[in-house]
Amino acid sequence: MAGLFQTFSVAVLFLCAAGILLVKNWRWMTGLLALQYIGVLSLVSISWPVEIAVVKLVAGWMAAAVLFLTYVNIPDSAAETQNDLSFPEIFFRGFTALLIGLSMYSLVPVALRWFLGATHQQTLGGLLLLGLGLLQLGLSREAIRIVIGVLTVISGFEILYATLEASVLMTGLLAILNIGIAFVGAYLLLASYLEETS
Amino acid sequence: MSTPLLWILLPLLISGIFLFIMNQQRILKWAGTIISLSLAVLAAALPINQVFNYPFWELRVSDELLVFGRRFVLSEVDRPIVVLLFLLCTFWFIILDPETVPIQVIPLGLAGTALILTAYAVEPIFYGALFFAFLALIYVVLLSPPGQEPTQGVLRFLVFQILGMLFILFAAWLASWIDLNSGDQLLLTRSLVILALGFSFLLSIFPFISWIPMVTEKNHPFLTGFVLNTYLLGVFLFSLRFITEAGWFGNNINIQQPLQIAGAMMLGFGGSLAIISKHLGRMMAAVVISEIGRSLLAISLFSSGFPFFFALVVVQALALGVLSLSLSHLRQGVRSFSYDSAAGAARQWPIISSGILVGYFTLAGLPLFAGFPLYWALGCSLRLFPLWINGLYFFGALGLIVGGVRILAALTRNSGEEKVLIIGSPFYRSLILAVNISLVLLGFFPQIVMWAAQSITIIFMGS
Repeated sequence: MAGLFQTFSVAVLFLCAAGILLVKNWRWMTGLLALQYIGVLSLVSISWPVEIAVVKLVAGWMAAAVLFLTYVNIPDSAAETQNDLSFPEIFFRGFTALLIGLSMYSLVPVALRWFLGATHQQTLGGLLLLGLGLLQLGLSREAIRIVIGVLTVISGFEILYATLEASVLMTGLLAILNIGIAFVGAYLLLASYLEETS
Repeated sequence: MSTPLLWILLPLLISGIFLFIMNQQRILKWAGTIISLSLAVLAAALPINQVFNYPFWELRVSDELLVFGRRFVLSEVDRPIVVLLFLLCTFWFIILDPETVPIQVIPLGLAGTALILTAYAVEPIFYGALFFAFLALIYVVLLSPPGQEPTQGVLRFLVFQILGMLFILFAAWLASWIDLNSGDQLLLTRSLVILALGFSFLLSIFPFISWIPMVTEKNHPFLTGFVLNTYLLGVFLFSLRFITEAGWFGNNINIQQPLQIAGAMMLGFGGSLAIISKHLGRMMAAVVISEIGRSLLAISLFSSGFPFFFALVVVQALALGVLSLSLSHLRQGVRSFSYDSAAGAARQWPIISSGILVGYFTLAGLPLFAGFPLYWALGCSLRLFPLWINGLYFFGALGLIVGGVRILAALTRNSGEEKVLIIGSPFYRSLILAVNISLVLLGFFPQIVMWAAQSITIIFMGS
């Protein structure tokens, strides 16, 4: 049962990270990011007590909320980007995400030799987020996508790193880093609307 | 009272307060300058771990602070590093012109210096990588002033720094395994490769250099100069501490050769970029990339190269400072920094142009300027190493000088422009002249810089 739940979490992670890659609507993007952190929580909680693992969820949701609220407050309608992606673009991104997923799946046996305390699902979940996050970073030029890509990569790393180290300070610092990245993302989204200082 | 409280938390607190007085630009500039200078003086003079008895209380400034079981230590041996960082901050704040530079450089710069010290002070040292990620966040905000879209270079900088942090954290975990499985060469090689990758991201070593020319081309020259100078110095200090303190770097591990390969490559890239570029911002990138290369080559010599490294830090700060200051003033008079737009600038603004030329040529290593004796001595120290390293060293210097001659030709070209726009206040023009003269004087008396660098090295190696 636990194994099934973990597999379900990995599926959620893949769908969310790939979904972020495919959608252009910022509501969907931040919503999927928030959902992604539930998967992160469930995989991290395998190695850590739930009360500590929940820090990842709280920090992630705060980051998603910061980005969401920033978009809500952007002064003009430019924030509402086109909802439609052309079919070739969707196909290309979806196919690339699938390829990354398969590559990461094939890497799991090797990675398991490095992450000795990790389960198969934790390793796969972490690698998937790392891969899809890097793909997002490689395909994007917009600040919001870069920020979400960075958050995705860090989430993947956090799943894997949780199997190695359970330091309170490290957990706290990584949580602050997640929120900090979201705030910087919010600033970058708003920077061009702010008044020049000199 | 402890030293981390004084030199980390206090500047962070002050920078937070400064954020509330951002509209008082001149007050902020001089307050920031005085505070960073005071912190430097305090770092030079304050006795650490000694008890003072006052009539009603006794005071002892301890050298460590415990946070969640991790130690932050700034002891007697770290004193020169603290002084160096705050003096650097003071220098950049003095040459900052609030009329041409976004004033957030004061609070964010002070906070950045405190974060560099945090990364340097934390034990175990690999936690420092996390603080560099925070520093990168601060510098991303600094490089994207209000009213401007974030540039692609800044976004790439953010991505590279975060990736670098992740690699270093992972490598440090692998390294902890080496203690348990000593003799496992495979694990050692893996962790070294991952660590090298992490530091390559942080230090922008090939192939991760692309963000430097992108940022110098599109972003504000003063902010760019400040970020490149302080961030790279911070990462270098962190790496030095990593190399000297991490016990798992045994004597049988050869890190000299990778350092020299990386350093020579960076010099080669810097020289090539200088030859082909037609943009003053990209020329700044060329000298910065070359300086990373020279610093790596200096560090590759270990204890005999550390004095060169610290001497380079002083000269780099002065030269990059005057170059950035001059470019930020020139920005008011020209449409862009392309050679065509800046043509004839030396005829209209000779002092500002002299700052660009002296700053650039110092970093290029032209004889008679402050950089030359150091680069010459560093080159002589590398003579025992493979010919191709010396060849790239020479090629890099030659490329930079050729690039400098092209800048000179562009700035002195007759553009037919006759109207004269006065840019830069007399105070900042005098500052440019003063730094120019000091760079020439240091070229004649390099022993002053070397003496300071030797002193820093002796105390630093004592750690």
